[in-house]
This record gives sequence, structure tokens and C-alpha cells, in this order.
Amino acid sequence: MGQKTPQIYSVELNGAKDMKQTDKGDDKDKYRGLWSTCLELRKNHHKEHVTKEIDLDDHKLSNKELENKYHTNIVTGLSSTQAAELLARDGPNALSPPQETPEIIKFLKQMVGGFSILLWVGAILCWIAYGIQFSNDKSSSLDNVYLGTVLALVVILTGIFAYYQEAKSTNIMASFSKMIPQQALVIRDSEKKIIPAEQLVVGDIVEIKGGDQIPADIRLLFAQGCKVDNSSLTGESEPQPRSCEFTHDNPLETKNIGFYSTTCLEGTATGMVINTGDRTIIGHIASLASGVGNEKTPIATEIEHFVHIVAGVAISIGVLFFIIAVSMKYRVLDSIIFLIGIIVANVPEGLLATVTVTLSLTAKRMAKKNCLVKNLEAVETLGSTSIICSDKTGTLTQNRMTVAHLWFDNQIFMADTSEDHFKQTFDQSSGTWASLSKIITLCNRAEFRPGQERVPIMKRVVVGDASETALLKFSEVVLGDVMEIRKRNHKVAEIPFNSTNKFQLSIHKTDDPTDKRFLMVMKGAPEKILEKCSTIMVNGQEQPLDQSTAEAFYTAYMELGGLGERVLGFCHLYLSADEFPETYSFDVDAMNFPMSNLCFVGLLSMIDPPRSTVPDAITKCRSAGIKVIMVTGDHPITAKAIAKSVGIISANSETVEDIAKRLNIAVEQVNKQDAKAVVVTGMELKDMSEDQLDEVLTSYPEIVFARTSPQQKLIIVEGCQRQDAVVAVTGDGVNDSPALKKADIGIAMGIAGSDAAKNAADMVLLDDNFASIVTGVEEGRLIFDNLKKTIAYTLTKNIAELCPFLIYIIVGVPLPLGTITILFIDLGTDIVPSIALAYEKAESDIMNRKPRHKKKDRLVNKPLAVYSYLHIGLMQSLGAFLVYFTVYAQEGFRPSTLINLRVEWEKDFVNNLEDSYGQEWTRYQRKYLEWTGYTAFFIGIMIQQIADLIIRKTRKNSIFQQGLFRNKVIWVGIASQIIIALILSYGLGSITALNFTMLRPQYWFVAVPHAFLIWVYDEVRKLFIRLYPGSWWDKNMYY
Amino acid sequence: MVTQKEKKSCGQVVEEWKEFVWNPRTHQFMGRTGTSWAFILLFYFVFYGFLTAMFTLTMWVMLQTVSDHTPKYQDRLATPGLMIRPKTENLDVVVNVSDAESWGQHVQKLNKFLEPYNDSVQAQKNDVCRPGRYYEQPDNGVLNYPKRACQFNRTQLGDCSGLGDPTHYGYSTGQPCVFIKMNRVINFYAGANQSMNVTCVGKREEDAENLGSFVMFPAHGNIDLMYFPYYGKKFHVNYTQPLVAVKFLNVTPNVEVNVECRINAVNIATDDERDKFAGRVAFKLRINKT
Repeated sequence: MGQKTPQIYSVELNGAKDMKQTDKGDDKDKYRGLWSTCLELRKNHHKEHVTKEIDLDDHKLSNKELENKYHTNIVTGLSSTQAAELLARDGPNALSPPQETPEIIKFLKQMVGGFSILLWVGAILCWIAYGIQFSNDKSSSLDNVYLGTVLALVVILTGIFAYYQEAKSTNIMASFSKMIPQQALVIRDSEKKIIPAEQLVVGDIVEIKGGDQIPADIRLLFAQGCKVDNSSLTGESEPQPRSCEFTHDNPLETKNIGFYSTTCLEGTATGMVINTGDRTIIGHIASLASGVGNEKTPIATEIEHFVHIVAGVAISIGVLFFIIAVSMKYRVLDSIIFLIGIIVANVPEGLLATVTVTLSLTAKRMAKKNCLVKNLEAVETLGSTSIICSDKTGTLTQNRMTVAHLWFDNQIFMADTSEDHFKQTFDQSSGTWASLSKIITLCNRAEFRPGQERVPIMKRVVVGDASETALLKFSEVVLGDVMEIRKRNHKVAEIPFNSTNKFQLSIHKTDDPTDKRFLMVMKGAPEKILEKCSTIMVNGQEQPLDQSTAEAFYTAYMELGGLGERVLGFCHLYLSADEFPETYSFDVDAMNFPMSNLCFVGLLSMIDPPRSTVPDAITKCRSAGIKVIMVTGDHPITAKAIAKSVGIISANSETVEDIAKRLNIAVEQVNKQDAKAVVVTGMELKDMSEDQLDEVLTSYPEIVFARTSPQQKLIIVEGCQRQDAVVAVTGDGVNDSPALKKADIGIAMGIAGSDAAKNAADMVLLDDNFASIVTGVEEGRLIFDNLKKTIAYTLTKNIAELCPFLIYIIVGVPLPLGTITILFIDLGTDIVPSIALAYEKAESDIMNRKPRHKKKDRLVNKPLAVYSYLHIGLMQSLGAFLVYFTVYAQEGFRPSTLINLRVEWEKDFVNNLEDSYGQEWTRYQRKYLEWTGYTAFFIGIMIQQIADLIIRKTRKNSIFQQGLFRNKVIWVGIASQIIIALILSYGLGSITALNFTMLRPQYWFVAVPHAFLIWVYDEVRKLFIRLYPGSWWDKNMYY
Repeated sequence: MVTQKEKKSCGQVVEEWKEFVWNPRTHQFMGRTGTSWAFILLFYFVFYGFLTAMFTLTMWVMLQTVSDHTPKYQDRLATPGLMIRPKTENLDVVVNVSDAESWGQHVQKLNKFLEPYNDSVQAQKNDVCRPGRYYEQPDNGVLNYPKRACQFNRTQLGDCSGLGDPTHYGYSTGQPCVFIKMNRVINFYAGANQSMNVTCVGKREEDAENLGSFVMFPAHGNIDLMYFPYYGKKFHVNYTQPLVAVKFLNVTPNVEVNVECRINAVNIATDDERDKFAGRVAFKLRINKT
């Protein structure tokens, strides 16, 4: 994979180069880039398809040739049998989901990942040891076989558990991606049928109408006023007209092909299916996403780092003591068994499972806050995010055109653009407004879909393009039932908008029964409209349009345009009843009505307004040290305006151009250091080298990329990643999916997002709301902190588990802690408490600090390891040894007797071993005492782990600042620890296989002073950290 | 692409290590400056010093709870175990009659073991006690008053005493003596005031046949109550453990015989499932004759 990726990227660079300009006239080049990318991609990934795919020439063929090629008939369609055959041949018309790793591979990966290898080695060593023992002595005990089996079981069970957790989180997605099945209207057997779109085959004749999603790649055979929205394919939001003429050699540019998953906005069309499923253009782009390698998540890197540390410690101590044991004349076999013990003691068996649980708990919490996490590890990634590359449309904005400003009576009025604006508060008393509102209402072809009376206006579905929809909703809010008004003002003639004359006109009978005049209303590009006018309405009165009013018009027009808003001009004319009697027949082709000397009424500007929650969220991101970069396909002016209004470009920062304008100097003369913000267009980006892009990314804190193509998105993401940043990318279209995949964390929009985007993403925002990301960041950071605590907690007792072995080997005391007992700590008493730490609240405002540095701020850093191992761990060992020595001394073996007792102690035939008082012990009596010792040591560790758990609640604050009882789960953890220990000691006391015995109650309290000491010591540590921040103490003791 | 970037050449790695060990720019040795090392060492010196002191203190306090005289708890020793002499690997008593070296080591061990039982030593150190009753020695107000022990004379072992014995405890003739002793347990009144004795049997039927006849010393394998109770090694210095010697007279040669001896006493259970040596001892006896 690593070998292949560079090729793909270089291809994309070429693809980007192909795009000469992104201005309107050259939009087509964009397709070419995309197309060549597709082809190149196929060459890399699907070599076998290359020859088959390139010859898409259906757009050049005549209808007859098409019929022949696909053995179909344009009128009667395919026969059902033909269709069934083709369906069997080509498979269903659906994008195949990205190739999943086979379940068994996933499962096996869990079996060998992390510490599993070490434990397998341990298990195998156990069996080997038994093999050697058995070959020497047929009656040797089966202890080693049991231990090996237990170790293998531990690996398998934790593996199954991790696998199950993974599978569960994947299932959330599976249910999610089950979308409502799409329907298609198809002609088969000369009949129109509605079938699921999945069953379409090549050669099918389908009919589509405004509002439908195009169900496959189709060659249009007939079209009427058909416009499609190709934004999911190209990121281009302008509606594209479609007809049945062949207009371009390139299949992506010709007008007679409609693409799978794009939407037909208006009109109707009939087409022949030419490609289905993965063979569609969108299918190829979707596969581009699967071509981008999946980067390892930051938390996975951290855990790997941690595993390396622990495994390193385990192996080096293990080998060191193996050598020591051998040179101390222990038998090799015994040394191997010591080695196993050391490995088992060092490996926190339960930790990885705990981490998984912790992550999935957070994932659940985030899902409640509308962040659906697909990949568990992505939970934390969001927390370490340092750059968010946010899409504009739909994420930062509401993704609907909304009327933002009005200009009439020489005055600019502001309209309410919040999500649920119910009332417009601008001054509506003027007579001009009455006229303007009439034009807005009447000169509009958009309509509400019927049957939505109960739906709030802003949420109703509208048939029509974005601007008309905005105007319709606006007038519905201000004036009430628009359809009724239109009915009363009967439309007699209409010229729809087209790009050559850039206006829209309609002529109506008025609802005033006394007024027999026709009303002609017109809207369009403001300068075109103004040309046609000779008067202007001010305060309801027509006035001649003079120089000063025209200037006022232009000022207002420029001002609104400068806000990145789409401005429309409105004018009207009452046609005199004499010239145009009621029976007059208007002919829109002949234009038998006046087209000049109209009356200009006003301007109205629209924008896709930012979501109301976004500015606040951006501020939070900024204070959290996260850079928010806007990457959009939209115009630079619009992009900049939105960036300013949401705070991506803050109020007091300027771009180079702004400074130049303010100081009235040339752009080149501006000192670039002065500019904090920059707007980079796709064109500029195309000419930039990697270094230049890096410079832009590092030197400006506020960046907006406008007019970018999907490929450039990928380049920007890579650029950010070169800065060692953890990059989050938000997006919704299919075109975003490569960038989503490339990003450290891809965030797809749950409502607006396409399936491909959701598939490529690691996280789905269910409410499409940028603000949800901030919550995610907070949760992610918290989980990182809490994982640190969990790991510190878990690592601590490893020393207490390891020391018994070392002392056993070197000093020769009877083994203080058995291997099985260690497993009961790691997988028994310690599990719930370490999960409980995940519920810990943040110590300070985590949203006020910088995101962690991917390479410097490690999950497990040196102070953490040293403090856990050499400070608390050691104290814990001493405490546990105290309990151990107490038990032995009170039973008759004083510490001095124990030294070097090991060899005699473990001989099976020595049944009269003398203790410190001259009493003699049989082997079984000693064994029982040894188990009591295990239990005592176990209880000693458990009691001190309670103290450890409490101190790990905070890393810096005093426990009393944090509140001892705020996290109730901690107490559940403590209770679970005690209950499990009670059950093991008293409930299972008679089951000697587990090596637990009944322990006298007083031994439970022997380690309590040490537990208190641990608490006090840690409070002192935290106190000094708080008192002397940045000091030597802080550097060495703060983890 | 990523992997290529991150891979370092071998030389670089060495260079980095060198710099880690001694960084001439920052004067750092192993990542720390001299002052930092000094601080660290001082800190650990103090910290570990404190921990050692703390541990020593708690251990001392703990040892105060333990008396020199009797262990605090004896729950594990409710049933004393039995053991044999000569003490051999895996309790296999193998005697190659023709090979003097094979049994020579047993004999040597036994000689050494029985030395303290010599009548002269016993007479010099220990009291003659009244048989059939416990030899109790209460402190009588004097704390931890030293205790006297009862005589167990080597001559009591009869044919197995090895005194003036040309057969070396019978090992040279294939009629070996095995000595049974019971584990010492402080303040344990074995037999609960009733007489007790040791008996031996072959473990299985064929063992019983192969075992043949044997004689015991003292007669009937009796253990006298006067050797109890035991007061602990510190105050019961010359305590002599009572023995029972078993002389196997005609063991079937060249066969491994499983022998089990147990003590018959009212207060000693000999049927513990898990502890095979509680109140009993099992050993293997093999006489190899050519």
C-alpha cells in the first residue's frame, strides 16, 4: 500500500493541474481532472478493468445505436427476463461497501495484537516446561499445563472481548447505512413500473423528474427543462442543465449524461441506463477513497508505544533475571518458569480490554451528543485534533439560501437568518415593501410540495432552485399563504430565468378587482434589471431614476455583493389597460409587451447563512488551540464573508488584500507578516509548491481555501499533516470522501452526507452541526487524560506483582505471589476500578489548553512510568511484603528463617521442614501456608490499589479539590475490588486449584498504613506541583 | 511514503544514541544535566531511605506481635506429619545388598542421625522421665523458663540401634531398618493421654505380600507420652524426638514395595485426602539381590 499511494497522489496533482480555471466558463476542465483521476486510479487499483472502462462513448451514439448496443427498445424497454439475466450478470445497482477485512482476520488480529504475543510466549514456555518435566519424571505436576492453558485462555478471552467491542461499534454503522431503499420508475415489458433502484440493469429505460435522485448513470433520451445538481460529484453547487444533445467528447462534460446519485432538481427526463453500481462514475470516486491508506489513529500509536514500553520492561527484566537465575545455579527449567512469572507479572492483561471499554463508553456518551463514532479509537483522535478543515456548506452554514438583506427606499434592511426565523423585524410599513413583496411572491416558480401545512415553513420541502426556494420561504414567512396570493393574481405569461437574458418575468392579473391593469413583475441580475428601468420607487412613490439614485443603487449593490451575498434586483410595471386589455394574448417568444422604462423597486440579497451555534463553537475551538481552516468550493468572497461571520477570520484580523485596500497600496507592498488571515483560491493553490503550501499553513493563523476541488482538499489535508498536526476533516459529498479518509479523523454529516462520505469517515455528526465537534473534542481530551490515569493505576501494581518474583529468585523466600493470583488481580479486582477512572471529571478546563503534540505529549511518558513503577509501585510492594511476612511470622516462619528456604521448601519429599520454633512441617502444610501467603499478598496489593485508585483521580489537583465522592463509579470500583477479594478468599477458600485460602480478617488491615502513606505521598507530590509549576519537581513528577 | 520518511539509517541511530549518552551542546548525560542528575540521585536517596526506614519500622512493629516462645497461630499443624530416616530423594529406600556404596550413604546418614541418641549423651543432658504420662513443665511464674527433655536412649532401638552391629542396621544383609519419627509441634499433646503406636503395612495387597514380616523397636512401635509436649527449640533445647524403628526381615527382593506407616493416636487424624503425610508416611522399599 505504501508503495502505491505516492502514485495516486501524483496523479491527483496532475488532475488538479488539468483544471485550468474554476471560473464558470472553465468548469468543464474540472471534470476532466476528475475523469483522468478516475482512470488513473483504475489503472492502479483495478488493472483488470482498464480496457473495459475507458470506452464510454454512449453519449456519442444515436438512440438507434444505443438500442442495438444494449439490446433494448426505447419505447418498450427491456423485457423482464432480459433484465433478470443482466441483473444476474452485473449484480445489483448499488455501490459495494468498501472491502471489509474478513471477520476471521479481524479476530486473529485481536489474538496476536498488543500483549497477546507475550502471553502466548508465556503459555508456550509453560507447555515446554511441562514437556521437559514430563520427560524427566512421568508423575510431575500439571501446574504448568494449567498455567499455560490459563494464559492461553486469557489471551483468547480478551481477544474475543475486544473483537466483540469492535464488532458492536461497527454494527452501529451497519444499521446506519441501511438507507431507505431508493425507487426508480422504469419501463419494462412496455409498462411503467416502480422497482427498487438496486434492480436496475444496463439498457433499462428510466424516467426521472425534479426531486429524484438519478438511480444510475444514464444517457438522456428525452429531457424537458431538466437540471441536475452535480455537487456530490464535483462539489459544484450550480445546477447544471441537461438535455439529450451530445455536446462534448468527454462523457463528464456532455449534457446528455446524468450521473448516479446526483439529483434532478427540476424538469423531467427519460434516459437509458448505461452503467450501474460500482461501474458508475461515482462508484469510481468512492473507490478512490478506499485507495487512500488508513492512517493509524493517534491513540493506537500511543497504545502501541505503551505496549512497547511494557513489553520492553517485561522482556528485559525477564531476560536479566533468567541470566541471574541461571548464574545462581538454578536449573534452566526453573529459570524458564521464573521467566514466565515475570512476564505475567509485567503484562497488564486486563488493560487493553479496559481501554476498549473506556473508549466505547465515551463513544456512547458522544453518540448521545450527536457524534456517532464508527471507529472506537477515533474517540480520542478528536481530542488531539489541532487543525479542523471544515467544509463550509452544510457544516458551518445551514445549507439553504436565505434572504439576508433587502434594499429599498435607499436603505438596507437586515433580515433574520437564524435557523427558525418566524418573524422578520424590518420596517414593513413602506409602500415600496408592498410592491416588492408582491414581486417576490409572484415572480417565483418555486412551490411547496403539497401536504406540508403542519411542517414549519423553514423545514418544508420545496420544488425549485435554491434562490427561488429562499424567496418563497421568505415571502411565506412575511406574507402568509403565498400559494393563495398567487392564485388570486392569476399568471398569464411567464419567461423563466435563463443564463443569457439573466432575468425572470411574469405577467399577472391583479387581485384588485377595480384595477384592470396587468402587472408585469421581473427579477434578475441587478444591473440588467436597472438597465430596463427608468423610474425607481421610493416610499411607495415612483420617481425618475436619476444619477444619484443610480449611485445609491450601485453602492448598495456593491456592499451586499461584498458580503458574499447573491443579489437580485426587482422591478415591475403596471401595463396600461388601454394598450393591454383583459383579453390581450401575451406571447413570450415575440415579447409583445414593454421591456423598458420599468419601475425599479428594490434589491434583495441572499446567502447561505451560518448556523447560529457555529461562531461560539469556533471561539471554543480557538481557545482550545485548534485551528479551523475553511475549505470550500465556493467563491472566495462568499467564503470570506462566511468565515468572517463565524469567526474563522476574526473581527480584527485582515488579509493582505484588506491591508492593501486600507492603506491604499499595492498588494505586493504589504508586509505579509501583518496579515493574520489569508484566503487562498484553488487557482493559487494549484500553482503552489509543497513548501509554499506549508508556509501558508504555518504563517497564517486564519486560513480560508476557496474554489477548491476535491483533489485539492486532499492536498490541503496532507499539507496539514506535514506540520505534525492531527487533522480533522468535515465533509458531506462523495467528492469529500478521499479527504475524509486521508484525515486523521474524517467527520461526515449525518443528514446531508452521502453514503460514500459516511463510509469514509470515522465519525458521523448526526445533527450536521459543527458545534457537536466541540463536544467531541472535549470528550476526546477527557478520555486521553483519563486513560493516562487508568494506565498509571494499572502499571503501579505491576511492580508489586513483579517484586515477589525477584525477591523469590534472589533471596530465596517461598514464593510470595502465584502466577494465577496475579491474573486474578489483573483480570479480577482491577478491572472495574480502572474503568471507573473513565468517569472522572476533568481537573481543569481542558478546552483552554492547547491540543497535545502528537509526538511530544505521549499517553505514557517517562514521569508516568517512573512514578508508577519506582514510587507508588515500590511503596505498594513494601506494603504487600509486610502482609506476607506477617502471615509467615505469625505461623512460625520468621523473616530470617525464610531467607534461602526456597529449595528445601519446594521439595516434595521433605515433610519435616523446621520453622523458626523447631516445629516441623509437611509439604502440604507448607503449600497451604504458601497459598495463604499468596492470598495475603493479594489482599495487600488490593488494599493499596484502593489508595492508588483514589490518588489517580487527579494528576495535579488535590483529591479534596476534585471531590472524593463526585465520581460515584470509583466507589463502585472499590466495592467490586473488595467483594471480589472477599469471594476469592472466603467463598472459594476451599478450592485449592485457585490457590486462595481463608485469610484471617486482621491481615486485611496490615497494609492500610502503607495505603495511607501512598495517599499522603501523592498529595504532597501534587501540592509541590501546584506550588512550583515548571520546577524540577513539576517536570519529573507530573505525568 | 510515511514509512520511508520515518526510517532512519543505522548511522543516524548510532549518532542519536551517542547524543543521548553525552550531549556536548547541552552538557546532558543520558538526557539530564549534572545538576538534574544530582537532584534525582539525592531525591531517590532520601525517598528510598525513607521507604526503607518505614518498612523496617513496620516490620519491627509486626515482629513485636510475635513471641519468641510459641508461634501465634498453629492452625496448620493440627495434625503432625510422619517422616522416615534415612532421608532419601523421593523417599525411596533402595538397597543393593552387593553394592556397599549404595547403602553406605544411608548408613552414614543414620549414624549421624542417631548420634545424639547415644545413651551417654542422653544421660548427660536429659532427664529420666516417668513413662506413660506427659512431661509437663509449666512456667510457674517464671517467664519462658528453660525446659528439660526426656531421655530416648539409642539402646531402646534394639536391633536397629546400630550399636555393635556388623550388619549396619541390617542394610548389608537386606534386612534394613527404617526409622519413623513424628514431626514436632509445640504444645501438642499427642495421643490425648492415651498410648499410641506406629503401624506399618504394605500399601496394596501385593505390597503386603512382598513386604514380609518386620519387627518394631520399641516394641509394638509404641511412642511414649513422656516425650510430649514439645516446648519449642528455644526453651526446649535438648529435646529428643521419640523414634520408632522398623526392621524389615524378609522383603521380597528386586521388587518395589510401597510401605505406609501411620500413627495410631486418638487425636491424630491419618486420613487427610490432600496431605499424604499427615499422621502417616509412605515410602518405597526395594532390596536388590543378585
